[in-house]
Amino acid sequence: MIKIWSMKKNEDAAAKKKPKTSAAQIRVQKDLTELDLPSTMQTHFPDPNDLLNFTLTITPDEGMYKGGAFKFSFAINTNYPHDPPKVKCLQTIYHPNVDLEGNVCLNILREDWKPVLNLNSVMVGLQYLFLEPNADDPLNKEAAIEMSKNRDQFLSNVKSSMNGRNIKGVQYDKVSVS
Amino acid sequence: MATAELTTTQKPDWAGRYFHIDQVLNSGGPRTDPQFAAGDEVKKFLRETSKILVIGAGGLGCEILANLALTGFKDIHVIDMDTIDISNLNRQFLFRPKDVGHSKANVAAEFIMKRVPGVKVTPYFGKIQDKGEDYYMQFHLVICGLDSVEARRWINATLVNMVDESNPDSLKPMIDGGTEGFKGQARVIIPTVTSCYECSLDMLNKPTAFPICTIANTPRLPEHCIEWASVLEWPKVFADKKLDTDDPEHIGWLYKVAAARAAEFKIEGVTWSLTQGVVKNIIPAIASTNAIIAAACCNEAFKIATSSAAYLNNYFMLIGTESVYSYTFEHEKRADCPVCGGEAVDINLKSDTTVEQLIDILIEKQDIQIKKPSLSTSTKQIYFQAPPQLEQATRPNLEKKVSELVPDGGDITVTATTLPFNLSIRITYSS
Amino acid sequence: MLHDAKDINSSTTAIATEAAPDNKTRRYDRQLRLWAASGQSALESSRILVISGTATSTSILKNLVLPGIGHFTILDPAKVTPEDAGNNFFLEGSDSIGKFRAEEAVRLLLELNDGVDGNADLKGLDEIIDSERGKEWLSEFSLVIAHNLEQKVTEKLSHWLWQDSTRPPLVVVRSAGFLAEFYIQYHEHAVIESHPETAQSLQIDKPFPALLKYATSLDFENMDVTDHGHVPFVIILVRVLEEWKKAHVGNPPSSYEDKKEFKKEILAMRKKIDAENFEEAESQAYRAWTPSKVPSDIHALFSDPQVTNVTPTSAPFYHLVHALSRFVEEQPSKTLPLTSTLPDMKSSTDAYIQLQNMYKQRAEEEKEILKGYLKVPVDADMVDAFVKNSHALKLLRGKRYGQAEENKVAFAENLQTSPKAYAIHLALSALSSFASKQQQGAPLTPTEEVLTSEAQALLPPGADLPHEFADAVGEAIRTPTADLPNVAALLGGLVAQEVIKVITKQYIPINGYCVVDMIDMSTAVLG
Repeated sequence: MIKIWSMKKNEDAAAKKKPKTSAAQIRVQKDLTELDLPSTMQTHFPDPNDLLNFTLTITPDEGMYKGGAFKFSFAINTNYPHDPPKVKCLQTIYHPNVDLEGNVCLNILREDWKPVLNLNSVMVGLQYLFLEPNADDPLNKEAAIEMSKNRDQFLSNVKSSMNGRNIKGVQYDKVSVS
Repeated sequence: MATAELTTTQKPDWAGRYFHIDQVLNSGGPRTDPQFAAGDEVKKFLRETSKILVIGAGGLGCEILANLALTGFKDIHVIDMDTIDISNLNRQFLFRPKDVGHSKANVAAEFIMKRVPGVKVTPYFGKIQDKGEDYYMQFHLVICGLDSVEARRWINATLVNMVDESNPDSLKPMIDGGTEGFKGQARVIIPTVTSCYECSLDMLNKPTAFPICTIANTPRLPEHCIEWASVLEWPKVFADKKLDTDDPEHIGWLYKVAAARAAEFKIEGVTWSLTQGVVKNIIPAIASTNAIIAAACCNEAFKIATSSAAYLNNYFMLIGTESVYSYTFEHEKRADCPVCGGEAVDINLKSDTTVEQLIDILIEKQDIQIKKPSLSTSTKQIYFQAPPQLEQATRPNLEKKVSELVPDGGDITVTATTLPFNLSIRITYSS
Repeated sequence: MLHDAKDINSSTTAIATEAAPDNKTRRYDRQLRLWAASGQSALESSRILVISGTATSTSILKNLVLPGIGHFTILDPAKVTPEDAGNNFFLEGSDSIGKFRAEEAVRLLLELNDGVDGNADLKGLDEIIDSERGKEWLSEFSLVIAHNLEQKVTEKLSHWLWQDSTRPPLVVVRSAGFLAEFYIQYHEHAVIESHPETAQSLQIDKPFPALLKYATSLDFENMDVTDHGHVPFVIILVRVLEEWKKAHVGNPPSSYEDKKEFKKEILAMRKKIDAENFEEAESQAYRAWTPSKVPSDIHALFSDPQVTNVTPTSAPFYHLVHALSRFVEEQPSKTLPLTSTLPDMKSSTDAYIQLQNMYKQRAEEEKEILKGYLKVPVDADMVDAFVKNSHALKLLRGKRYGQAEENKVAFAENLQTSPKAYAIHLALSALSSFASKQQQGAPLTPTEEVLTSEAQALLPPGADLPHEFADAVGEAIRTPTADLPNVAALLGGLVAQEVIKVITKQYIPINGYCVVDMIDMSTAVLG
């Protein structure tokens, strides 16, 4: 066997045995403990020992979704940050960029994810969707059409959906906090 | 675990068996380390002492096992969690149509033992994560022929973490191969000495992902229609049934749904083959590229085990589409690599030092420049600066003694905004 | 054959229909994604001859039998020695000792694929190459591979095969210990499906009439915001370029300032600040001022004598290139035929499909124009592939094996400019020359002095040997007859890969020697 150890002694005498915390775990710890969230966003850990599964509640303080509390699940796998976190909206909401199954259209959750991004970037991106919904690249096409063609109707739909009403046969979850 | 109960009839090697190999073991060459113990000593180590682990018994694994057996490794272990599929047979040459559905590790081990007398191959039909340090510690070398980033990251981190300064045997060279069509790479990783797999994570190609709104509303490519079927329609229609990309009925359903959507949008090109390729993220694979990369890996294992020639430092990359292009280079270690980089320091505490006092010590340490550190062990959080819920939950620990939370010689992972990655500290106590 | 095997064409068309693929298509799925049904059917009609059943030879064959060549023959009169039994995976250890090596290897190789036919021939090459019947037999193969064959026989074989360009290409493989090389001898090798990494030009700088008309007729001003944000970047660029040219006496942007200004004009059209299609147009703006030209190596083909003098018996490739040269000449744009494949881009479905149809229609028209220049009928699939790949055609012209070394001065110069790779080639050549002078069957024990003087004989008198030669020759004397399993396996992969490229006429094979050093793990192509 080649004498690797002697080579190591010369090159890297200071190397220390490192703890058995996985790279994904360390990275999640770093991401979470450096979260810099405004008061409009709150994380909740159903099991505080499990850092990989939690929820985020967004309560916009301005814009058309003001007054609602929108809940998203975050599921991080052990291949993080190579793989992006999986994010879903837990409620049925009326939003051009969120479909009725809870899928969210946010580029950094899929095609534009890269390991240098972090949980903070994802959360900020989510909040932005409530301040500036984008009707050009919709997931809920009906909502998007309403938003660009008939803004008043759209605003009133947003309001009534947040109150848990039924719009065109779809029952929305009550998300308004007031 | 399923172990093949095969007895190898231990016949002595016939005269001349190692005529070819012995030419490199009987004497050194111009590029051989002068310390090379030519002759009987090295042969004995290779054939009687050395123990090697092969991770993966697929395209690369089959080739690796055959090469190792012929070069004289006689105690070989192999792990693979997969079973044989018909699409493996164009390259995984230890398998036959009758083996479809059986464990790759078991069938491969049995085949090698039958074909190459006197070689013992011990299979494990399961996941690498099933095994712990004590298992990996028994080998001199590890060769990986894996197709998953996750598995590679896991074994890489495990082998790097196993390195123990006080135990030379804890350093296990890892040789990693990978292929994609006519392209491939082989590399030698000496944990903590050379760059590791995690150091090069950013070299990986990102798998293609399409914007979900394109899939939902503005499909243009056949792939968009296929993703619509698999990502959006499947969970909607089969709420509780998980998509199994190996089930032809599931693929058939996706194909039909995708084809209908494509027709609706006048998009051409949805085929069964493309559907399967997109949902399974199929990477083309051929026997020849696997043979090249596996041979390169095994040759490194042989040179490291015998010192009969210098070994690859440390990365070989092959592109076979246009002529034969290869590039051999030293991939550099990353200082901020979360697995092999970062700082590691020893801190000696009084047994009654509290967590809060430890944090103060860390903040005051001039050489690490740390602000607002968060601390954890591999199993629990000690103190988190954020988010509020976790800060609150861990706040009571501030007043606890470190010794209540971390054993003597235990490790703490420290992260902070001011650190590029992480710091690990080893705690010892003085009474 | 597999139970439900069909011919590969009908089984891969199954991919395009509703039915799940059959077993044969499933078995070959991972390779069909590289060379498709056309490559597979070329492989299945090939007949490969391998001379000598060494570990390297069987490794090569393994990687050809698995993907499904039609037939192989191993030509080898030798019986299995204890040494063979130790390093060849396609022998059954000591049980094979004393049996015919070709027969044992063929039997075990055939287990790998029911669809392949194999034959052991126990004659010696000497016997074959000296008889007319033997030569006729040789010329029926698609390709011949020889490993570590005695030098004089190799020369005889390579000369005979070279005499007539219709005879099969030859791969000569040599290895000793950690060092190895192989050479492919062919007169010409033309590749249409080279599988280039770069796509064909979209010709935005020279838009075809329908595209220009469409782009300039769009009413951007009055479009609603959503539609405006989904106009494909191709249309945006054509439009902005046209307006730019009107304002700049017909010239595209040329200076750095121009280009900056051009990009500004693109962004100024946005109705929404984050319109991705305009961002895309900005990042692709170089297409507007980068002239779509015929690549220089394709242009060079136009004046190739085989192209300018096409006769009815010329290969279809030359006829196609000839037609292509006429096409380029006659087209006002002086460009290659238009591509029918659009990359994905930010767009609505309708706008994208409409643009795609415009490109498809125009590409079809241009293909018809090109076909009009053909002097002989050519298979429609071949024309399609040719037009699709017209920017990446490849014509390789080879040399006879050993021809390059006849120019000793050039050899010596090469040895100075790329010492490492040429030193390995020289050391292996010196070893072959030395071996050819030894009595057959005698142990081969060269010394450094002897090999150095053999090497000197291959160079002009007094030529310097670089220090890399000492490294290479040191390995050659250490392992003069070692066919190491790992080296055999690596050569098995590399040679099979190149043979597949030659047979399928897809991807680009080497032209010359490929030299392998498995100590520092590197390869180099010489020639």
